[in-house]
Amino acid sequence: MTDSHFCGSPEHRISRRGWLGTTAAAGTALAADMTFLDVLQSPALASELQTRQKRVILLWLAGGASQFETWDPKPGRPTGGPFAKIQTSVPGIEISELMPKMSTRLHQHTSLIRSLNTRIADHGTAYNLMLTGRVGEPGVDFPDMGAVLAHELGQIDSEVPDYVSMYTSTEGRRKGKAGFLGARYNPMFLTDQMTPENIGKLDSISSVDHRDRAALRQLLAKRFSSDRPSPSVASHNTAYERVRGLMASEKLFDIDQEPRSVRNAYGPTQFGEQCLIARRLVEAGVPFVKVARAWWDSHGQNFETHLELCADLDHCMSALLDDLQQRGMLEDTLVITLGEFGRTPNINGSLGRDHFARAWSCSLSGCGIKPGTVYGKTDEDGNTVVDGEIGAGDLFATIFKALGIDYHKEYMLGSRPIPIADFGAKPVEEILA
Amino acid sequence: MNLTLARIVPLFFSMWLSIQCVFAGESDRALAEQIDQHVDAQLVAAKVSPVATLGDAAFVRRLFLDLTGRVPTRQEWQDFQQREDANKRLLLVDRLLDSPDFAFQLRNELDMMLLARKTHNDAWREYLLAACRENRSWDQLFQEILLPEYKLPDQPGPAAFIRERVQDLDELTNETSSLLFGVNIACAKCHDHPLVYDWEQQHYFGMAMFFKRTYRTRNGLVAERPEGQMKFTNIIEEEKQAEFMFLTGAKVDEPEGNLSKEELKRIEELVRKAEKDGKAELPPLPEFSPRKEFVALAVDSAEANYFTRNIVNRMWARLMGRGLVHPLDQMHSENAASHPELLDALAADFAQHGFDLKRLIRGIVLSEAYQRSSQWSSEELPPAPELYAVAVPRPLSPWQLSLSLLVASRNPETLPGLDKPDDWEQQRQQFESQANGMARRLEIPDDGFQVSAEEALFFNNSAQVENDYLRDSGNRLVGYLKTIEDPESLIHAAFVTVLTRPPSDQELQAMLQYIRAREDRRVESLQQVVWALLASPEFRFNH
Amino acid sequence: MPDPKQLKRTHAWRTPNILFSLTRVPDSERVIVGSSDFQINELDLAVEKPEPIPFVGSGHTSYVTGLALLGDTLVSAAYDGQLLFWSRETREQQKAVAAHQKWIRQLVASPDGQRVYTVADDMLCKAWNVGSGEAIATFTGHELLTPQGYPSMLYAVAVSADGKHLATGDRVGHVAIWDTESFEQIAELETPGMYTWDPKQRRHSTGGIRSLAFSPDGKQLAVGGVGRIGNIDHLDGPARLEIFDWQAGQRLHELENSKRKGLIEKIIWSPAADWILTMGGDHKGFLTFFDLQSGELLHQDGNDGHIHDGVADDACENIYVAAHQRLERWTIANS
Repeated sequence: MTDSHFCGSPEHRISRRGWLGTTAAAGTALAADMTFLDVLQSPALASELQTRQKRVILLWLAGGASQFETWDPKPGRPTGGPFAKIQTSVPGIEISELMPKMSTRLHQHTSLIRSLNTRIADHGTAYNLMLTGRVGEPGVDFPDMGAVLAHELGQIDSEVPDYVSMYTSTEGRRKGKAGFLGARYNPMFLTDQMTPENIGKLDSISSVDHRDRAALRQLLAKRFSSDRPSPSVASHNTAYERVRGLMASEKLFDIDQEPRSVRNAYGPTQFGEQCLIARRLVEAGVPFVKVARAWWDSHGQNFETHLELCADLDHCMSALLDDLQQRGMLEDTLVITLGEFGRTPNINGSLGRDHFARAWSCSLSGCGIKPGTVYGKTDEDGNTVVDGEIGAGDLFATIFKALGIDYHKEYMLGSRPIPIADFGAKPVEEILA
Repeated sequence: MNLTLARIVPLFFSMWLSIQCVFAGESDRALAEQIDQHVDAQLVAAKVSPVATLGDAAFVRRLFLDLTGRVPTRQEWQDFQQREDANKRLLLVDRLLDSPDFAFQLRNELDMMLLARKTHNDAWREYLLAACRENRSWDQLFQEILLPEYKLPDQPGPAAFIRERVQDLDELTNETSSLLFGVNIACAKCHDHPLVYDWEQQHYFGMAMFFKRTYRTRNGLVAERPEGQMKFTNIIEEEKQAEFMFLTGAKVDEPEGNLSKEELKRIEELVRKAEKDGKAELPPLPEFSPRKEFVALAVDSAEANYFTRNIVNRMWARLMGRGLVHPLDQMHSENAASHPELLDALAADFAQHGFDLKRLIRGIVLSEAYQRSSQWSSEELPPAPELYAVAVPRPLSPWQLSLSLLVASRNPETLPGLDKPDDWEQQRQQFESQANGMARRLEIPDDGFQVSAEEALFFNNSAQVENDYLRDSGNRLVGYLKTIEDPESLIHAAFVTVLTRPPSDQELQAMLQYIRAREDRRVESLQQVVWALLASPEFRFNH
Repeated sequence: MPDPKQLKRTHAWRTPNILFSLTRVPDSERVIVGSSDFQINELDLAVEKPEPIPFVGSGHTSYVTGLALLGDTLVSAAYDGQLLFWSRETREQQKAVAAHQKWIRQLVASPDGQRVYTVADDMLCKAWNVGSGEAIATFTGHELLTPQGYPSMLYAVAVSADGKHLATGDRVGHVAIWDTESFEQIAELETPGMYTWDPKQRRHSTGGIRSLAFSPDGKQLAVGGVGRIGNIDHLDGPARLEIFDWQAGQRLHELENSKRKGLIEKIIWSPAADWILTMGGDHKGFLTFFDLQSGELLHQDGNDGHIHDGVADDACENIYVAAHQRLERWTIANS
């Protein structure tokens, strides 16, 4: 039986959803580990087991932060703006004076990439590009970074959520998608509150009844699904079985559980609070947390806006890295700063900078990263990349490799491969530990 | 003589009538029989025994979900149980097809197939409902959707299919091709398909050309500009001019235009105005309409292959859980149907009988293949799904689920359903409005559907669920159960109302225990029992 | 007699830079401009094609945001926190003072020519002796952080014609008025309309008081900025002016103009205080005149260049304007 879905062309390695395929039986056949590895059989895959301890926090700089006012300053140039550069704790590396706290920490954990050229400069398309690592194609629903990493790093019967996304500002808010990986990998998406929707039980039912009611439901479910070997039916049970664990994780979102000193270290801003929640989540085993700090889209008043937002980023990122370090978590946690694109070298009449994807920056800190490194160079005015140009796919390959995930890996569906990193993507070895 | 004539005429008339009935009956079963013939042949060849046919309760539930878009009311189920006709299943099929529910259900299915994934549009849904009520033929629907400005010029409803996609030519081309012809040609944009000789770049651009000139006006209508060309570059970097070319390779030549440059400019100005200003004068319709040519080609008997086979395949997939061609948008020579002759036969029948959707659906649900159970208790893996040896549990669509939740959580005594047809149409209309919000919250299932933790949390902890489905009031199930003193009867009533079956012994005992342990909070315990039933996979799926 | 309705642009000189500050050499057509290329240049606008003559020294290392000419001494301030002293005649730098820890936003000279006052984002206003270059006093009436906990900015400073009073205005709309002899704060005003904090869509702030000017008799204070902005990605809000009887603490005028939007960066009172000129911009620039008797818009015009600074000649007939990539001269002389 041939089941031809795709053209076989290396450029279009696409497939359908339903990745569990026709061979998977009901829920029982699935291993606890979502990557279906039988570790006992294959000792070489013990590293895969280690992979499952890794975590990612994505600090999403929504709207596109300016590389000039953060990681790649060009003071004195017509494109440089008014802010100076400061020497960091790594000789030869200077960043914007708006990031003083990070400047003293660069040698400890962080690597900068200054040579992103992703070409796409509209919010929606660029968002998809930077969150899925590829341009995409019609008819294929690629999962985003969070869903892929939830899949790679998480546990199928996890008691904690495996993909949490905090995006409270409304501008640029996008839900995140599990794509063909299925709703199992949808993010827990927090918008108005700092706790997920429906995570607390209603007052009209007691805890005991809530639990017993679930058991009653499960009795019915068991009977039904025992002779219905369908992955969709199985997913229903999985989802309900996770509820109690997910509800128990409600307190992870409660920063009042933290001592004053820790709360003060992160500071009073919403971004700080959400970074603290992110730390609590990864500490409890959540593999992927996205904290969006919106909205950097400074078409006017770029310098005033960055003055404010960089203060927030500098402070909270430093607090987060310090905190992770202190708890011995940083070597297993990758912290990423990234946006849709950077901002134009040109400064417009409102003293703003517009969208710019031809030469911009991001940062990676922690797990698998060689600290105090910089990859790539832009020209003196920041108009083009002159060395080390990479795209979104390469960035993803780098992230996967830093986490110990094989970036060549493909999701196999019968004979149809879907590579987790875009075709031809290569990791930036120079910044990997 | 008069007397003789008076006797002969009615005699002949009744004979004629009964012959009609017999013939009608014959062709009624003909489709179903053809289906079973082909499916059984493959089962025999594969040496696979199909599972048993559904019992009555399961059959009724499945049929109601597929033909009315909701679970049956208790009354409807009990009514069926009590009938003694040998062919009561056939009669039920016809009854449901003629019910007001059918039009709503078909409307929701078509909406899901064609637009709901992109957007919710009330005018479009109203248009579809009117069409479904008339059992408008598929070829007519197709023409109205693709040529709204010609077929239904003042209605923004049917224009929605094109309008919602017109800003992105690739999307419009590919989705038209996928949804209306079963062909995903996205690959072919970049290069000729290396394996599938059917699809070359020229096919992709050929299809796109038919839509290139289409635009949307400010007030939601669609129209075409008088000119517009496309070029594409092939993999050896040659630039080629795209021609109007359908999937089959059939081409259309554009006649020489007789508009001067000035006239073209003037029309372009009008187009620009119409795009921005809702009150602007609409430009004249072009002499040569690519979309008209497209539709003519698509429905033309020589080229109608894709057009007919696609809809047949999709209707089949909705009812049987899997297309004869799978996946649904990969109809090409390298991806044969599981039952090629059956697909051809169904397509031919569909075309011969005026592209009648109701008839097609009827034929499918009357087959034995459709009526197979979904239960598979063996330790061995089930047979390959394309054999249709055992039914595949299908997740309810957002509409089916929301409507069913409303129906199942009502007081069964006050919800007769089709037994009171005059009241029912209005009730059904009300349910549709009430189900709106919930339906739009839920995900439209695709191949490999998975339930999200979000849904599970929502059902567990949201006030909305508690309010809408577990309320203790006279016209609700919980309110009704409260009035039943005997716990066994109560539990029985709950099961029959929600799941259309009685409880097993184990289930009964578990429920009795549950309720008895909560005498002090009886109503809550009833709510919790109802919740367990509504939140079960048995309710969530069509099986 | 100057007549705003006669407003006309007489010259525009293009430059690749953004001109942030400007001062005029008295009784001449010579102006000195501070620019985004960190340079200070003098230009003689009487000639057809004025050539910039640079001031030379170690110079500034960021945008030059303030200039004041006191006799032969030119004092300049910039984002680099430095106050530089130059000889206007030789155009050579004489002295450099590390004046503020953060970016200096504005500079103004006392009418007696003895002092300059600076405001910077360390939220301090300092008084300086021009002769010695030493700080005389520091005014600390502004909060370091905005109500939302972010670093604030101190944008504007003005001195009354009699030299007795000083006004400072910040990001969040707080105005402090000081006695220049006792160095005490003697009044304060609030103009919260100048500050937009968006908690929902974009979660940051914009706006701020950008300009202050005392009336010729010193009794009124004009405050300029931008009004409420919906989409804070842009300067898409009405230009906003508030005028107070500052001693009584009473607002006399609240004037907004949405035809030509953006920040009011500079305010000039007419000598008779019968009208007031506001200049500024968003992507473009504006000169907007209000009639102070009626409180109505009197006249407005503008051009492509967002105006950052401007100065009128003594007769108030010619206005010299430093803008985005241009230097302009406008006239309101009655022809």
